[in-house]
Amino acid sequence: MNPETVQTIIDDLGALLLFTMILIIAARQISHAIHAVAAQSLLIAIAGAVLATATGNEDLWVIAGVTLAIKAIVLPWVLHWVVRRLNVRREIEPVIAISATLALAVGVVVMSFHLSASLGPVRQAITGNALPVGIALTLLGVLVMATRKTALTQMVGLFASENGIFFTAMAVTQGMPLIIEIGVILDVILAALVMTIMVLRVRSTVDADIADLDRLRG
Amino acid sequence: MTGERPLTLVLLEMTLLVLLGPLVTGTIQKLKALLQCRQGAGLLQPYHDIIKLLRKGTVQADTTSGFFRSIPVLVLAATVAAGALVPVVRSGPPAFPLGDALMLLGLLALARFLTAVGAFDAGGAFGGMGASREMTIAPLVEPVLMMVVFSTAVAAGTTELGALAAHRGASWILAWRAADFLGFAAMLVLLPAETGRIPVDNPDTHLELTMLHEGMLLEHSGPGLGCMMLASHTRQIVAFGLVSALFFPVGLADGAGVTGLLLGAGAFVAKILVLATWLALVESSYAKLRFFRVPQYLGIGFVCALMALALRIL
Repeated sequence: MNPETVQTIIDDLGALLLFTMILIIAARQISHAIHAVAAQSLLIAIAGAVLATATGNEDLWVIAGVTLAIKAIVLPWVLHWVVRRLNVRREIEPVIAISATLALAVGVVVMSFHLSASLGPVRQAITGNALPVGIALTLLGVLVMATRKTALTQMVGLFASENGIFFTAMAVTQGMPLIIEIGVILDVILAALVMTIMVLRVRSTVDADIADLDRLRG
Repeated sequence: MTGERPLTLVLLEMTLLVLLGPLVTGTIQKLKALLQCRQGAGLLQPYHDIIKLLRKGTVQADTTSGFFRSIPVLVLAATVAAGALVPVVRSGPPAFPLGDALMLLGLLALARFLTAVGAFDAGGAFGGMGASREMTIAPLVEPVLMMVVFSTAVAAGTTELGALAAHRGASWILAWRAADFLGFAAMLVLLPAETGRIPVDNPDTHLELTMLHEGMLLEHSGPGLGCMMLASHTRQIVAFGLVSALFFPVGLADGAGVTGLLLGAGAFVAKILVLATWLALVESSYAKLRFFRVPQYLGIGFVCALMALALRIL
């Protein structure tokens, strides 16, 4: 593939990634948000495969496969399992109104495009719009984490944020060393496990949620 | 670059749109019926309805002013005029000064405004309610539609739909840039709102308090109601035509040859069918949103459109 095709495909994938992020932010039901984050991981895996064919870096194939298996299939499945286990359906509970969050999201996207435009020569070396899209995804994931009260939604936000970092890393470096990527994936798995256990434990022992924990004093 | 569209062709396309409008509604209703395991009315039912209404006499409230009678005709005229601006079988700008996508959206807004004025004029409670709701939704839909148009127009350097379609050319999804995906997503979100369908409005009911568009038609009767219904069918197919001109002008004929025009017409029918199927699927799988949820639903479209614009400009 010639570089221009790759750039176009990465740009298009970036737009779709932003769209899934909007769906995560706008989701009223936790299961919708989980589906959206799974779709986002699938897109990341496709982006990895595209970059792998473009650069001939075989590690990227491994990473795309692992992303597909872990982040697009296993982690959403775990989240769905927790949702079923806790028997919650509308577990979104935003701190500020969802429409306000959407407005903030637009601001974040425009800002990240504006900021990375000012990077100039650094951005020229990076495939397409990958840098601003990656920054926007990361910040929007943080936004989701900051504006939702419940732990499960915050986990979705964390995965989205992690997807953003992953996307940026892949596009910027044309494939990091395999060992680092595997380490990152393992981190995510561990974080997911710990958080899942925490959520279930907290729920089952004190019947409280994350937002109530600020009142705990020693 | 393709040639210009002569006056006869534009008139022909406009007539085609008006004639096909009820058929699209019939198709959507038939699809919905099939999805619900019903037999459903025939495809031609909307035509029968309109013909029946045109034959009947008019009854209207005593409180209405003289303006009320002319409203259906004006609404129909504005909508049909909007239909003239959509390239149906052939791309390229019209050979004479006609108007662009902004004109189209303006005419649709005018039709909407006149419908609301008519509903207020009759003084019925349902009409006023429907009108106030429609006027709450409209300012959320129209600017977003304009942004979607702009996001494609920025690339083409024109807002004239025929020229836009010609600029995009016959190459399909391969030529889509990143912004087109987001713009198209915004369009798919907005389409039910623009055509008055679930999850924003329910076209099947005249009884619920949740209705928007149908509530405004309650005071009309006979030929007037027929005109209003024909206008809403036309509005729907015009919205479809706008989407296909903006995002997939595939198969639009380049030259003036008869085969090209037939091919263009066939491609147009196929595109309309795809969009009609989409609407039928959405209508069958979602419930109508609570009215105060609608702004948030439309907010998704707004954010997508704004990001499309941002991607195009930045």
